[in-house]
Amino acid sequence: MTMTKRKTITRRDFLRGTVYTALGGTLGSTLGKEAKGEEKVKVVLIRDENAIDSRGQIDQRIIQKMLDQGVCEFLGEKNPVQAWEKLIKPSDVVGIKSNVWHYLPTPEGLENAIVKRVIDAGVPKKNIGIDDRGVLNNPIFKSSTALINVRPLRTHHWSGIGGCIKNYVMFVSVPWLYHSEACSPLGSIWNKPIVKGKTRLNILSLIRTQFYNRGAHHFDRRFVSEYKGLLIGNDPVALDAVGSRLLQLQRIAHFGEDRPLDNPPIHIFVADEKYKLGVSNLRRIEIVKLGWTEGTLL
Amino acid sequence: MKKLLPLVVEDYRADKKDEFYNRDQSFRYMDGAAELYRAYAFKLLMVRKYVKRGHPSILVEFFDMGNSEDAFGIFSYQTEDEEVGVGQGSDYGGGLLRFWRGKYFANVYAEQDTPSMRNDVLKIGHVISEKVKRKGQKPSLIRFLPSEGLSERSIRYFHLHQVLNHHYFISHQNILHLGERTNGILATYPQQQTKEKNFLLLLQYPSKKLAETAFQSFVKAYMPDAIDSRAIKTENGKWASMKIYQQYLLIVFDASSEEKAGELIKATLRGLEGK
Repeated sequence: MTMTKRKTITRRDFLRGTVYTALGGTLGSTLGKEAKGEEKVKVVLIRDENAIDSRGQIDQRIIQKMLDQGVCEFLGEKNPVQAWEKLIKPSDVVGIKSNVWHYLPTPEGLENAIVKRVIDAGVPKKNIGIDDRGVLNNPIFKSSTALINVRPLRTHHWSGIGGCIKNYVMFVSVPWLYHSEACSPLGSIWNKPIVKGKTRLNILSLIRTQFYNRGAHHFDRRFVSEYKGLLIGNDPVALDAVGSRLLQLQRIAHFGEDRPLDNPPIHIFVADEKYKLGVSNLRRIEIVKLGWTEGTLL
Repeated sequence: MKKLLPLVVEDYRADKKDEFYNRDQSFRYMDGAAELYRAYAFKLLMVRKYVKRGHPSILVEFFDMGNSEDAFGIFSYQTEDEEVGVGQGSDYGGGLLRFWRGKYFANVYAEQDTPSMRNDVLKIGHVISEKVKRKGQKPSLIRFLPSEGLSERSIRYFHLHQVLNHHYFISHQNILHLGERTNGILATYPQQQTKEKNFLLLLQYPSKKLAETAFQSFVKAYMPDAIDSRAIKTENGKWASMKIYQQYLLIVFDASSEEKAGELIKATLRGLEGK
């Protein structure tokens, strides 16, 4: 489909199916249907049922294994160090953009696993930084030559979902200026000099996902799933589109029906159509699935 | 506000580290969640923790919402769980009690959701609500809603299109020209036989002129194919219909027929005309 920049998306577009199902609260899945003649974007979904132990603790060793297998699959390498050497040069200054939201932060074990492989790729530890809300004042991020974008997947009040695209909102000094029209402008942040062209890998943590908003801080333990997965790729739009669909399927599985997001994640579609950041059409995304298959949904 | 929150509730004591956040500071406490409260006339948030030896602490977030209509509005945002008889309206689920009374809205919750913690959370909620002596009025728009078939607990009150979109997505753009000075109600009318739902959107603008502008904008963006009839069969096979009356807009979504949509519009108009 085509869309001019001034096109107003309404509920009727969803009903017609002219806005892709990645935007949630829409018609049935288009996953699995072939898109003829179109190049597909590859994302890797890897899951391990032992990623969280019986005490609810995330197993660092398993996370490392999942990350390594996922990145190897994504890059077509057998050895994780060689795979990371494709992503990162020893001379790079690497910012790992994480997410510290109190209720569902990026798992520390995942951050550690990334740091280990960046070091293995030859980057001195002093040239690696992990940050979220302080990125604009962090010397590593200010001088970074490479970024790794990693955060958990969750629903979000204003933007529909919090995924890879939204994770860069801390690279602007006034984040709430990007909240208009269901956060549609979020994709524009990726064209700012501090981040433009620097992102080598996007990782959406699906170890735990929050699939529905409720509660004082839009967090309710009842609506958190232990999905025990990672979604890996270099297209943040494709990862978020798949993530959005997953959250929709998790709501359907939990409630027996879909319940709308606070706002449909229009920003994913706009990041594709307007900012040309990646692919939001699920028909054009190939999900390579590895590992544990129970309850995959996708 | 401090006077409304007791220092002691049975075995629980305030930990004396109260925090206060005004409208502009609320992001420091709630990050993105603050925007929901700021979509209403929220003025001040007081946060107090109640502690009891050997028990998880209980947190109270007590909001001065500026007026009772907006206290009801923020409460009406989510009413999916159990009404537990606290304040003028309450909702308990997952360890969280939400209630409103007067111009105040409160979240009361514990880290654990056990039967005993539920009792403690409700007890603290009751004590606080009883401290608020003056009851508040619900939004006046509610009285215009046709009562037949209305799901009372589904009534949502709001000002901004983002909040409307949470309840019923219309457009990512503000095609109804909603703002701080507009008042809106979304009401649900479940159909007993089909289990389908009709939605009635009732909007009040500051002036006839602004209502007319919003009316034209909505027709152009949402139902350009219904210029004459003001009713349209949408792509889900249901009917949408709209009407402007003075500074009010009435829109029905998802009616099973044009007649059903018209009946709901007419019933609402009767209420408005008799006001």
